[in-house]
Amino acid sequence: MTAIAVHQFAHCITCHAWSPDHSMVAFCPNNNEVHIYKSLQDNWERVHVLQKHDQLISGIDWSVRSNRIVTASHDRNSYVWNLEGSEWVPTLVILRLNRAALCVQWSPKENKFAVGSGAKTVCICYYEQENNWWVSKLIRKRHDSSVTNVAWHPNNLLLATTSTDGKCRIFSTFIKGVDTKDSKAGTFSDSKFGELIVQLDLSFSWAFGVKWSASGNTLAYAGHNSMIYFVDEVGPSPLAQSVAFRDLPLRDILFVSERMVIGVGFDCHPMAFAADERGIWSFVRFLGEKKTASGSKYGSQFSEAFGKLYGQPRQGVGNDSVESSRLRGCVHENCINCIVPLKEPGGRGSTIKRFSTSGLDGKVVIWDLEGQDDLSQYL
Amino acid sequence: MATTLRLYLTCIRNTLEAAMCLQNFPCQEVERHNKPEVELKTSSELLLNPILICRNESEKCLIETSINSLRISLKVKQTDELENILTKKFLRFLSMRAEAFQVLRRKPVQGYDISFLITNYHCEDMQKQKLIDFIVQFMEDIDKEISELKMSVNTRGRLVATEFLKQFI
Repeated sequence: MTAIAVHQFAHCITCHAWSPDHSMVAFCPNNNEVHIYKSLQDNWERVHVLQKHDQLISGIDWSVRSNRIVTASHDRNSYVWNLEGSEWVPTLVILRLNRAALCVQWSPKENKFAVGSGAKTVCICYYEQENNWWVSKLIRKRHDSSVTNVAWHPNNLLLATTSTDGKCRIFSTFIKGVDTKDSKAGTFSDSKFGELIVQLDLSFSWAFGVKWSASGNTLAYAGHNSMIYFVDEVGPSPLAQSVAFRDLPLRDILFVSERMVIGVGFDCHPMAFAADERGIWSFVRFLGEKKTASGSKYGSQFSEAFGKLYGQPRQGVGNDSVESSRLRGCVHENCINCIVPLKEPGGRGSTIKRFSTSGLDGKVVIWDLEGQDDLSQYL
Repeated sequence: MATTLRLYLTCIRNTLEAAMCLQNFPCQEVERHNKPEVELKTSSELLLNPILICRNESEKCLIETSINSLRISLKVKQTDELENILTKKFLRFLSMRAEAFQVLRRKPVQGYDISFLITNYHCEDMQKQKLIDFIVQFMEDIDKEISELKMSVNTRGRLVATEFLKQFI
């Protein structure tokens, strides 16, 4: 088992985020509040309740450097929370949305954040000093349906979005006065705000959970048709790979290294995907299975299939694959809808050894990839 | 007979397993609304292809899925007029008490005898596996219930007829 800590915080959790030092966790217990818990020795204690929204909170992100929380809610609003003394003080963001906000993420430099919405738009928000509020610039008329997830490229300029129209799009978000033109951003540095750079039309169904790898070279997103898509060389001629898997679709994904991705979703088990030496991505195995079921997943499937072919099940149990997958010891008991990396403070490495997941069963589970021999080669 | 029923139910169970991947999703068309998309059908991209599972002409199951809701409509076997009346009355009785069943729809979809509506809120509160078990169990029991009712009506009919005809002896 790689799950090292399981905390049952609420009946149901829609999203969660960690404080920069990982001593506090903020989550939404499926209502209009954000609860912040602090770890004290062995147990967790509720220290703050953020009440300002009046509908379900769909996204939380806690900035690492500036220690600010941004929340997005179905009530069309978003707030930036600043810790002043012992109180979290909200600042309204002028989103100018007329539908629900669905997801939010700070940019790597934390001078901007992006909000995806049900109004088929993306808001790029930045701080305006003279008015003392956060204003937004909208990317309009580019999406045909709700924007389910957003992800910032490490260069702070490119933003990838997924939408329920099944497409993944990449935009430039250069804002005059906020961003500076430098050569580091490469070929995309001279594009205007809201310019559509690439539109990826790989999925036949809704797309969720887009992420960039730490270097920004690879992009991955999940489709509701139980597929995960990997895109290299994002630009005029992107290289795409589609990986289909057997189980229920994914909701969110996370790059733990350049060559390994963890996906979470309706199947209740995190799944590990990895790229081999040639860069071909494939499904490796589930995390959090009992030791008896560990080892190469494919190997056991094949031998099972051969066993069936020869009319004698080589493995006594597990003739019904659905039945066996249900009986595997699950850490989560319902759909997992959020996966968050736990980067070691100060560590500048691009690999992530620890991450946490939360789901509709109200648990926050911390996972550790340390000591997983078959997975460590991909880290 | 029993094996075909088993296959039919297994097929429905597996389909439900795959279809019941629901999430909270606010309405795209109306401000601050959050309604089952499968009922409103406002945006076609939020609907998946409906699946029709038929055992025979008179017994079928329609599964319609959307991003935040799922509708299951059943047509129960009715071989004769008596079964038809019994099914209608019995399912009407259940539909009138729909709130006690939570996932039962008050009105069946056109062309079907009874419908269930499962939303993302049901998936949050209840275990998915138990929900599927409930639907499948319901389908198993409904046939049994109807045939039992039919039998008791027939028995009673025969009894009444015998009693009535006794006076002419």
